[in-house]
Amino acid sequence: MAVKNRDAFVVVDIGDAETKATLVQRENGVYRLMGTGEAETTLDAPELDVTIGICRAVESLRKFGGRLLGEEGPEGVRLLCSSSNGGGLYMMVASVISIISGESAQRAALGAGAHLVGIFSKDDPRPEYRIIENMRDTRPDMFLLAGGTDGGAFNQVLEMASIIKDADIKPRFGSDYRLPVIFAGNIEAREKVAEKLTELYATRAVDNVRPVIERENLGPAKEAIYDSYMEHVITHSPGYERLAKWVDGPILPTQAAIGRMLYTYAERRNANLLAVNVGGSTTDIYSVYRGVFNRSLDAELGLTYGAMNVLKTVGIERIERWLPEAMDERKIRNIVGNLMVLQLEKFSTDERLIIGALAREVIRIGAEEHKKLASRLKGITIRRTIADTFAQSLEPTYLDMGDTQVIIGMGTAFDGSLGDATMLLLDSLEPIYLTELYIDRAGLIPHAGMLLGEAPEAAFSVLTGETLLRLGTCLIPAGKGEGEAVKINLRRQDGKTSDESVNFGEIKTLPILNGETCKIEAISGKGLNLGKGKEKMLDATVTGGALGLIIDARGRPLKTPDKKNTIKRWAEVLSPAGSR
Amino acid sequence: MPRYTAVENNIIIRKTRRLPTVGDVLVKLCEIVREDTIIARGRVRNPELVEVRVDQRIGVDPYNLSGYMLKAEGNAVKKDEVIAIRRSFFGKSTRVCRSPIDGTIEIFSKSSGKVLIRGEPLPIEVKAHIPGKVTELLPGEGVVLECKGSIARGVIGLGGETHGFIESLVDAPDEALTNGLIDKTHAGKIIVGGSFATLEALRKAASVGAAAVVVGGVDEKDLTELLGYELGFGVTGQEKIGLNLIVTEGFGANPMNSEAFQLFKEHRGRLACVDGTTQIRTRMLRPEVIIPS
Repeated sequence: MAVKNRDAFVVVDIGDAETKATLVQRENGVYRLMGTGEAETTLDAPELDVTIGICRAVESLRKFGGRLLGEEGPEGVRLLCSSSNGGGLYMMVASVISIISGESAQRAALGAGAHLVGIFSKDDPRPEYRIIENMRDTRPDMFLLAGGTDGGAFNQVLEMASIIKDADIKPRFGSDYRLPVIFAGNIEAREKVAEKLTELYATRAVDNVRPVIERENLGPAKEAIYDSYMEHVITHSPGYERLAKWVDGPILPTQAAIGRMLYTYAERRNANLLAVNVGGSTTDIYSVYRGVFNRSLDAELGLTYGAMNVLKTVGIERIERWLPEAMDERKIRNIVGNLMVLQLEKFSTDERLIIGALAREVIRIGAEEHKKLASRLKGITIRRTIADTFAQSLEPTYLDMGDTQVIIGMGTAFDGSLGDATMLLLDSLEPIYLTELYIDRAGLIPHAGMLLGEAPEAAFSVLTGETLLRLGTCLIPAGKGEGEAVKINLRRQDGKTSDESVNFGEIKTLPILNGETCKIEAISGKGLNLGKGKEKMLDATVTGGALGLIIDARGRPLKTPDKKNTIKRWAEVLSPAGSR
Repeated sequence: MPRYTAVENNIIIRKTRRLPTVGDVLVKLCEIVREDTIIARGRVRNPELVEVRVDQRIGVDPYNLSGYMLKAEGNAVKKDEVIAIRRSFFGKSTRVCRSPIDGTIEIFSKSSGKVLIRGEPLPIEVKAHIPGKVTELLPGEGVVLECKGSIARGVIGLGGETHGFIESLVDAPDEALTNGLIDKTHAGKIIVGGSFATLEALRKAASVGAAAVVVGGVDEKDLTELLGYELGFGVTGQEKIGLNLIVTEGFGANPMNSEAFQLFKEHRGRLACVDGTTQIRTRMLRPEVIIPS
């Protein structure tokens, strides 16, 4: 095997359909993305070997760095890999109390990039035999059992372990290995839980996800999930055993790599961050608020395989409301149906409009679901004072659109024009006050996330230099008003100033170059608030994006207008901004 | 783009016919079978699972229950058969727990005092679905069958497997299938339409007893009406709507692809074996019409 260059990385992400490889290398002390290559994922017949697709994807990088991958593995580079094929990591979680240890277990599993296929607890209203049935019928890749604080609930933890034992759960793939079960509950119950489960499952115990009621400790459970994923799950897919010998470090679930990158980015910027990833069949929401990371997943809601499920969930009216022109219900339903059954690669204008409407709804649902999980720890007794009544720390969710500095859009939903991508984020998430909007234009956030552990500078070089595109900073007053909604004085770095105003119900962009910073003084109109109180002035420094500075004065909560012309007019403000 | 070929003409078709469980294979290697020949029989797990709180019925602590049980895990039980008994006061006071169903003791939990009884296994059989020759035996499971013929695949279907003789009711692939074109003579037939089938046509086809409708498109709204619920995900095959449906092109009015239309026209009156099962994501399984040579 060739000597590895410690400063050259081939990073591969294996998706359901596509394997994407990148070459990142240090030149003159600076990490650069040399190129990217793609090939079809080869997990299925006739190839049945995931390394074939990797070799093909890496082969297209040859022009950037010569031969990088041979029969024995990487040549002169370090190989890092994430994977989401087969729908990702399917996990079940069980606990004693659903809103306490149950939510902590969910956060650990989702944070590790899992797709939850079963959530169980001792306070589950379903009869025990139904729980057992459900466990048996849904074959996961892994199980996480939590419950009890350290020194707390004991018998209930063992009862849940008994249920898991009785269910004799088989793993999703491979009949020749035992399902990994990670116990991250009451430390005093470890031995007894192991006694119950070791015969049937590959068990391991890690530190409690909820050692005390007031504190969560998700790190050890997440690490155990990664280890079990590598040791037990992924090696049972065709070709992964070979791949495991090639890689420098563990193969992570793609969603875990994304989560790591987003968390580190938010921490480095000292910002609150919200990111959405809308795919064909799932919608992921990631958030980092005041240093707390959360991820939630809406399985079965997406823009191709999950499109009809979105329509079924939200109803036709919620799709119709986003369309700039009236469209026959049958036509809408047929288009949505065809998105699912045909998986088109090119879209007509009507199809694009409906995809946009579905995306708005699916992000909206995802954000609502995310709020439930991204919340302060439940089960803690809080003494409220009058001052606390107004404090954000006691809000049921961390999600605060008025304190969100960064929003990132990922996935196929953002493949259209920059204007469409911007409107999609504004309409679905309804940010308020000042927020920077970004999209993952090259789909390389997983790759950046894999680089984090080995070369953080390389990760940030890929993230900020190659894949994150700032659409613009948005200035958005909250509330309802009329007439002049925002009056703004813009001072550029060269000292030039300009005054602008935007009426209620309008969107406007001010031309600030991408990366240019300006000082603004903005006053909201009657009934409106820019975060400093109604009709108060906001002083801030803003950074321009591809669309400049965007002022969205349509009011919050956003009300979709009855007149279709207004939707059309809104879309037209940003649509000439062109494509990526 | 779809990862399947819409029409394949004059090819060797191989079908694996397998029980979802272990059972008896009823045919021999090289045997020629008809589409309705039963290939294998077996018994599958009964979904009925009944929980019995034996500890409460006989009034003992769950941890002491073992000594009172008359049946163990895996034992067959009959309805009303005593599965646990507790005698006290020298036999003068007796409490029993009886099985509420015929079945098998699946789980006896010593920690909770619960017994789960699974209903008796349900009989199941697998038919050949296509006429052909048995080319491989899968002991205890089924067979591989082979025949020559053509396949037309659709994008989504409803209902499982059926067969019948092909009846093309339209002259052109862009012609709609309406209820006026369907009558009682189409009972048991595979009706082939053109671009679109109206809801009334689908209902009429079901009412006259047609085996299946194959058509370029249907409205999603009509499909919802027909099913009585919205489809959601693209996983079908278990629907009970009185007939099977194969949509070859997509939702809305879509002229049937000329290859498929021609295939059906040329084989009018011939046997077609239809499977509406669709799994768009997980297995990329599309509905199909097999026309054996």
